[in-house]
Amino acid sequence: MWWIAQPVTHQGLLEREAWYLFLAAAALVGVYVYVCIFWCLFAYNRRRRPAAASFTGNPPIEIAYVAIPLALVIWLFAVTLRAEVPMDRVARNPDGIVGVAAFRWSWRFAYAEGRIVTVGTPFAPPTLYLPVNRTTEIDLTTDDVNHSFWVPAFLFKRDAIPGMTNRFDITPTRTGTFLGRCAQFCGLEHALMTFRVRVVSASAFDAFVKTNGQATP
Amino acid sequence: MIDWLTATDHKRIGKLYIFATLTFFVIASVLALVIRAQLARPLNTLVGPEAYNQIFTLHGTAMIFFVIAPFGLGLANFLVPLQIGAPDMAFPRLNATSFWLFALGGIVMFCGLAAYGGAAANGWTSYAPLSEIVEGTGGGTDLWILGILLASISTILTAINLTTTIFLFRAPGMTMWRIPIFSWEIVATSVLILMAFPSLAAVLLLLLVDRHLGGHFFDAAAGGNPILYQHLFWFFGHPEVYVMILPYFGIITEIVATFSRKPVYGYVGLVIAAFAIAGLSIGVWAHHMFTTGAVNNPFFSAVSLLIAVPTGVKFVNWIGTMWKGSLELSTPMLFAIGFMLNFLIGGITGVILASPPLDYDLHDSYFVVHHFHYTLGGGSMFALFAALFFWFPKIYGVRLNERLGRWCFGLMYVGFNVTFLPMALMGIEGMPRRVYTYPDVGHLALLNGVASAGSVVLAAGVALFFVNILVSALARAPVPDNPWNGYSLEWVTASPPPEYNFVTLPAISSRRPAWDAMQPQGDVS
Repeated sequence: MWWIAQPVTHQGLLEREAWYLFLAAAALVGVYVYVCIFWCLFAYNRRRRPAAASFTGNPPIEIAYVAIPLALVIWLFAVTLRAEVPMDRVARNPDGIVGVAAFRWSWRFAYAEGRIVTVGTPFAPPTLYLPVNRTTEIDLTTDDVNHSFWVPAFLFKRDAIPGMTNRFDITPTRTGTFLGRCAQFCGLEHALMTFRVRVVSASAFDAFVKTNGQATP
Repeated sequence: MIDWLTATDHKRIGKLYIFATLTFFVIASVLALVIRAQLARPLNTLVGPEAYNQIFTLHGTAMIFFVIAPFGLGLANFLVPLQIGAPDMAFPRLNATSFWLFALGGIVMFCGLAAYGGAAANGWTSYAPLSEIVEGTGGGTDLWILGILLASISTILTAINLTTTIFLFRAPGMTMWRIPIFSWEIVATSVLILMAFPSLAAVLLLLLVDRHLGGHFFDAAAGGNPILYQHLFWFFGHPEVYVMILPYFGIITEIVATFSRKPVYGYVGLVIAAFAIAGLSIGVWAHHMFTTGAVNNPFFSAVSLLIAVPTGVKFVNWIGTMWKGSLELSTPMLFAIGFMLNFLIGGITGVILASPPLDYDLHDSYFVVHHFHYTLGGGSMFALFAALFFWFPKIYGVRLNERLGRWCFGLMYVGFNVTFLPMALMGIEGMPRRVYTYPDVGHLALLNGVASAGSVVLAAGVALFFVNILVSALARAPVPDNPWNGYSLEWVTASPPPEYNFVTLPAISSRRPAWDAMQPQGDVS
């Protein structure tokens, strides 16, 4: 089932913990308010209650309903910070750096300081190789308009914006092939701006780099 | 015909707004049906990317700038002077100017369809530098910019007019703490418009200069900054969200109190909450930019989460108003209940999106489409229909058929939820927004098929509303002044109200002058 999908990166695991706590809070509040509304529809229907009360408020109750949600969002903010701070951290010494350049409407991946470059097209999406259990820094840029690098299985995206390089770390925790795509609308063929991510063993990735991309994992 | 073109009476201008916004609503709804038809199956080829990108751009822009926001202000045009006991708006000719600028704006934007290169196709946010590409996308984008500029000027003028009217034109006895919550929400909305809309006008002008006069404001290669576009746009864009919901909060408050036969619960709290929402909404704009890596995410996350508190106050007060009341489930009340049930889901998903780690996954996905349709579609649009059913007798002297109204609500409620609930799961499964096609992976084919089927039911509900108008108008049943036992001042006068609104004003000694007038023992005079 999609909402209990196991995260495949270290960063995704952090997101998932926050997600479950938010979902629990959402369900609690949602069910409580729905029950209150349906209770009113049932118990205070005119057929059952021809005469209405006439009170216009109750300050202690109103203040309580400010204080309780306030406490809830403060707790949610703590949950947010606990996940976000390590997700945003960029290691000073990453195990490797991969350059990702977005352009209308595909991607260019550069490994080993640009010695290996893969370029895709909308109809032949490129493949991004990442080593498992290593922290890879992605240096994200764009050649033209705004794009966004999104791998749903990583539970993560970051925008590519002209004039800046966006850096973030990814630490995959299991091998496999995942779908990636542009999330920021970028014109005509935005829908076809996809790529594949293959998370491979560290040794296969090393062989890929050592042979200048000849030994495709 | 000439009468309508030269009208300055607030009631006529209100009717013009209702007519124009409903016309744009029908057009934007048809565009939405084309979107759902295209996405009904994976790899569908009903419309190509050129057409699709124009269609979703026009759908979003029309619904936001030419339906939801102006309907709220148009209804305020009709209602506010009646609710506060004024003969007209403060500046009647400015009011007419506002309406015609607005109508012209919508027409100019849709004229893009006839332009070389087609209509604008950059989404309603029209991000630079994508929107700065001139080649091949010529006239449509410029007409889009001009249309929105006209609408933004119109909105600013209306906000000035409404605040002046409410502050200075109240009847004797109608103190600020006695005006109906709807009128209070209009004050908060107007203040928000005056703070936010100048930023929209500025960013659109900069975009126009960039496109044609070599401005380079948003051109990174020449020292400009694309992030600046997002800041200026969302500094307007997030308050705009509240411009599209606060008037509708007011509508719901009036309807819930009327059909519960109870005074509004926590009147002062509701007013404070409206201004708390307005104030906080000025400081949350960059939550649309969490994934840019260019803003202080924790700050904007904290302020965005805080907005849940005053919004929660609204729910407490609506439920408090129903509590121990005597609820009559007529069509306006059904739509108000539907509003609460839907808007709650939109509010809760809003809290989820306010958390950057979760937004890193869900941003720009169908989860966001799910979220804002629950606030503006299931929320504002349901309140829009609640308002139409509630005030139709007052505005047009025609009471809408109750049986057809209930069917209209039932179809719309079921259709809306079947259409938009699956979109949360589409987003979680990785479907980005603004795509004209998608591969057959995961459950996307099933979820999209269900959503498209739901959209047909929703459309049937909307169509039934227009059938209802026709049937009810032909029935010509007489309408009393106060068909729902409403409590605010507009229910004291005739349906429809005479010129200058009131022949004689009752003594106003409470927040419920119409109820006081019905029960002489409650009258202090």
